[in-house]
Amino acid sequence: MADKTAGGQAVAASSSLQQTRRSLLATTTLALLFAPFANVEARTFGGVLPWIPESADPPTPFQPGGWHYFDAREASTMEAIVERLIPGDDLGPGGRDVGCAVFIDRQLAGPYGDSRRLYMRPPFAKAAATLGPQSQDGPAAQYRRGLAAINAYCRTTFANKEFSDLSPAEQDTVLTGLEKGTIALSDGVAGPQFFKLMLQNTKEGFLADPIYGGNRDMAGWVLIGFPGARYDYRDHIEKHNVAYPLPPVGIMGRSSWNQKS
Amino acid sequence: MRRSLVTNTLSIAILALSTCGYAVADDKQSFEQIERGRYLAAAGDCAACHTVPGGAPFAGGLPLVTPFGTIVSTNITPDPKTGIGAWSDDAFVDALHKGVRADGSQLYPAMPYPSYTKVTRDDALAIRAYLQTVTPVDHDVVADQLPFPLSIRKDMAVWNMLNFTEGFFQPTTSKSAEWNRGAYLVQGLGHCGTCHTPKSALGAEKADVALKGSEIESWLAPDLTDDKRTGLGNWTSDDIESYLKTGSNQHGIASGPMSEVIRFSTSAMSDPDLKAIAVYLKDLKTAPSPAVTAQAASTAQMTAGAAIYKDSCAACHRDDGHGVPHLFPRLAGNGALQASEAVSAVHIVLHGSQGVGTKAAPTAPAMPAFDWVLNDAQVAAVLTYVRNTWGNAAAPVSAGDVGKYRTAGK
Repeated sequence: MADKTAGGQAVAASSSLQQTRRSLLATTTLALLFAPFANVEARTFGGVLPWIPESADPPTPFQPGGWHYFDAREASTMEAIVERLIPGDDLGPGGRDVGCAVFIDRQLAGPYGDSRRLYMRPPFAKAAATLGPQSQDGPAAQYRRGLAAINAYCRTTFANKEFSDLSPAEQDTVLTGLEKGTIALSDGVAGPQFFKLMLQNTKEGFLADPIYGGNRDMAGWVLIGFPGARYDYRDHIEKHNVAYPLPPVGIMGRSSWNQKS
Repeated sequence: MRRSLVTNTLSIAILALSTCGYAVADDKQSFEQIERGRYLAAAGDCAACHTVPGGAPFAGGLPLVTPFGTIVSTNITPDPKTGIGAWSDDAFVDALHKGVRADGSQLYPAMPYPSYTKVTRDDALAIRAYLQTVTPVDHDVVADQLPFPLSIRKDMAVWNMLNFTEGFFQPTTSKSAEWNRGAYLVQGLGHCGTCHTPKSALGAEKADVALKGSEIESWLAPDLTDDKRTGLGNWTSDDIESYLKTGSNQHGIASGPMSEVIRFSTSAMSDPDLKAIAVYLKDLKTAPSPAVTAQAASTAQMTAGAAIYKDSCAACHRDDGHGVPHLFPRLAGNGALQASEAVSAVHIVLHGSQGVGTKAAPTAPAMPAFDWVLNDAQVAAVLTYVRNTWGNAAAPVSAGDVGKYRTAGK
């Protein structure tokens, strides 16, 4: 095998191979010589695989009702934003009705909000995005400052109106300006970055399992044809060009699991 | 430890060969006698009660919860002070056969002497010979923890008068030797009826419904008769043999208390003895369980159950309820599943279950718990569905039936 390859590396490999073979032969001979006297014994390991009842560590379902991180003004702003990012139409409900703002609220109140698993302390530098966030603000702090800055911008530009009071067309104008960086926000908020963060989190809320507060009634999954937390497709693998017949199911089930009274 | 056992066994075997013809059965120290006793002690599953899991073998101390109170198993090691080392052979045989202790006082029937009475004197003495060889343990067990008036052992004389028939096993001459061996093991040492036979108000086995299934320790010991719907009617004798030897067969996998019985007792039994048990059980003809009409598939509970089954169960147990032999139990035609009480099934769905790992089948597949995802009504719905689909028929399960086991049996 080594002689088919050219170059020093192959030679080195072949010599180490011979080394190994020689020492292997030597040990085998020794072993054969002494085998009759050695205490050779086959061992069987028995017992049952360990199994601890109820050791599953399922995610904690979100608790509906109220806001955990947003205040009332932030919540209404957020609901207006997610409804413009994913508007409801004849294909299904939009971001607000599937609970994207609730999802983001719960995420910001949890370990994601303060970037608990990341190193968030100085020194900070002007660096490439691949080097991670260069600020001690986790997403929660970014939303607090970002939403306040958006409302401040709207009040100045649209005769003292909040973002949620604007018409859909006006809201789109603000969001587009945010995305393109054509509007200046107070408090040093970088519009394009904040827009990107909100869009990312809104998509997550639209498509994550309903257990986290968004994707209500699995509307996001219905839209894209994802069957959810199923794990056995053997009966369907061979059925080409046939639509998968089962509706999506979440980690905590679906409404058909409950008796219709 | 194992090696020294093997070495000892070998040297004893060689010794036995070299003194060929010398060893006699009534020599209490003969290897054959002790080995036979070890086998019979396993068949009787003495360790199930007399050994605390992880504790010294046969040193007792395991609390046994009965409907009448808690009884603690005794030390049956040869320790003369706290064990039974000082007992005479006759006293030992009387304990099994008559339910009396060496001091003449009554045993409680938590010790299954109503079954053990059928054990022959020879077999009892072999067990005695074996127990004399286990490590003596100085462990004083306070067995009497029953409430008054049951705390008076003399009460049991009255109980015995009403419920206990002393007598060695009597073969049925019209049946084969194999059938009789099976009957001897099932009725005697195996004491299968202790769990599988319905009990009277006094806790005695009802002879007319022997092995028709009974609830014990919040589990169901299922019907072992040849009943097609609730019993072993769909099992061949090979199926029974495989179940007892390996813990699984093409229909199901043992769970709950039976997995311990298989692990410590039946998996250690010989193939001919297991075959004999199977032959006897297949011949147990009793009045069939009362017919039950299956729930209509269109009820609200069945519809919800079908949705849950499709999403949470069908991947392993398959849409047709056939499961996968030796891995995922078959639910279609499953006798234990169609019992009048769904208690075992409730346990398994709520808390999961691990099959038994035996020498012959060490895998011990397990089912996960569903208590974190299904509420009581949903567990009831899916159980009602599996008890009433694919030809199955059994009473519906209510949310209340589930709720009481949600924390029990954890």
